[in-house]
Amino acid sequence: MSSDPWVWIAAFLTLMVFSFLYRDNPFYKFAEHLFVGIANGYYIVFYWHQALKPNLLEPLKAGEFLYLIPFLLGIMYFTRFIPKIGWLVRLPMGFMIGWGAGISIPANIQAFIFKQIEGTVVTPETLNSGWEGIWSIIILVGVISTLMYFFFSTEQRGVLKCSSRLGIIFIMLGFGASFGYTVMARVSLLIGRIQFLLGPWLGLIK
Amino acid sequence: MNLFQKLAKIDRRLIYLTLTVLVILPFFVKFRIPQNIMPQTRKLFDFIESLGSRETKAVLISIDYTPQTMPECHPMAISLLTHCFKKKIPVVGLSFDPQAPGLAIEAFNRVVNQINALARTNADSVIYGRDYVYLGWKSGRIAALMEMGEKISNVFPKDYYNNYTDSLPLMRRIKNYRDISIAIILAAADYPQEWLMYAQARYGLKLGAGLTAVMAPKYYPFLQTGQLSGMISGMKGAAEYENLLLNYGYTREIGRAETGMNSQTLIHLLIISLIIIGNIGYIATKKND
Repeated sequence: MSSDPWVWIAAFLTLMVFSFLYRDNPFYKFAEHLFVGIANGYYIVFYWHQALKPNLLEPLKAGEFLYLIPFLLGIMYFTRFIPKIGWLVRLPMGFMIGWGAGISIPANIQAFIFKQIEGTVVTPETLNSGWEGIWSIIILVGVISTLMYFFFSTEQRGVLKCSSRLGIIFIMLGFGASFGYTVMARVSLLIGRIQFLLGPWLGLIK
Repeated sequence: MNLFQKLAKIDRRLIYLTLTVLVILPFFVKFRIPQNIMPQTRKLFDFIESLGSRETKAVLISIDYTPQTMPECHPMAISLLTHCFKKKIPVVGLSFDPQAPGLAIEAFNRVVNQINALARTNADSVIYGRDYVYLGWKSGRIAALMEMGEKISNVFPKDYYNNYTDSLPLMRRIKNYRDISIAIILAAADYPQEWLMYAQARYGLKLGAGLTAVMAPKYYPFLQTGQLSGMISGMKGAAEYENLLLNYGYTREIGRAETGMNSQTLIHLLIISLIIIGNIGYIATKKND
C-alpha cells in the first residue's frame, strides 16, 4: 500500500466519484465541488503566471508600450458590465471576428475542402491497386450518396431517393463507428482508474 | 414477468458490478488476448523507424492531453519518446493545453531516467538541451502555429525551465518547421485540426496524431488523404505502439496500455452481449404487447 498521502487523497476522491454509480450522495457532491473549485483556481493561477505576466506585464514594465493596444482591447470586453459604455465591447469582438475569419477561411478551404475532395478522386492508379481501388470507389459512393441525403432543394424521389437511402446507411455506419470508439474511450478511462487503485494505491499490481 | 421482461429491467448497478469485476480480473488471472496492429499505427511507427539514427531534423511532439485522458494518451507519449530517444532522434516538446505541461514533464522525465539508468557513456545518455527540449505552454495557439513556421524562438523565447531557447544547443539548429521531420500531436481535443490548417496547409509540415478514441473517427479522412502520416487511436493504438516497440527490441517490458487491453476486450464482449440481450428483450416485449 502507498505511503504517499497524495495517492491516498487521489484514491479516496476516485472512490467518492465512483459512489455516484450506486446513487447520488454527499461524498460524490463533495468531490464534484472540490474539482470545480480546484480547476478554477488552477486556471486563474496558470493564466496569470503563463499568459498575463510574461505576455503583458513584463513587456509593459520593460517599456514596450505597444502592448497597451491589446491590453485596452482586452479590457473592453469587461465594459459589458457597465451599460453606458457597453457598446465598446463591439471593438475587440469585431477585431477578433475579422482576424479569425480572415485567418481561418482560406486555411479551412485549403485543408478541409480541397484536400478532402482530392481524396475522393479515383484515378486509374488507385483502381489498379487492389483493395485500395475498391475502398476508393466505396469512399466516392459514400461521399456522393451522403451529400445527396442532405440535398433538400427538391422532393427526394427516384434516383435521389435511392441514393439518399444509401447515404443514410453510410451515415449510420459512421455513427456506429463513433459510438464504438466512444465506448472504447470511456472503458479506457475506467481501466486507467482501476490500474491506479490497484497499482500505486493498493500495490497489488505493478 | 417473463424472462425477456426481466432482461429488459436488469438493475444498472449489477451491470456496473460485472463491468468492474471484468476490468479487475485480467490483472490477476494471467492470459493474453492477441492484438492486431492497425495500419495507421504501423505507418507512424514506420515513419519514425525510417528516420536515421543521427537525424539532424527533430521530431516535434505537441503534448496536449489532460489528466482525464491520461490512460489513453500518456502511454502514447511514453512510447513515442522511448522510440525517438532509443533511435537518437532529437525531440522538441511543447504544449498548447493549459493542463498538459505537468504531464509532459512527467513523460519526459520517466523515459529519460529509464534510458539514462542503463546508459554507460555520455553519448548513450539522453541530455536536456542536446537531445531534447521542452518549450512549455503558449497561449494564442493559432498565431503561435503560424509564427513557428518562421521562427520557433519567436514564439518560445524561453523554454519550460526558463532557459533562453536560442542558447540551447539543439535549438540552435532547429529554427522552424523546415527543421522538423514530423510533428505528432497527442491530444484530447481538436488541436490536430489547427495544425492541419495552419502548419501543414501553409508550411507543408508532416503531421501525425495520437488521439483519444472518441476523436479518432473524425480524423480517419485525413489519413486517407495523406494529410496525417499516421495515427495512434485510443488505448488500443497505444497498446499497438507498445507492441511494436517490444517486437523491434526497443523495450523488454509490456507497456501500461497493453496490460489494459485484456480488460478492454472483456468489457467489449460484455457490452456486445448486453446490446444483443437488450434488443432481444425489447423486441420480445414489444411482440407480447
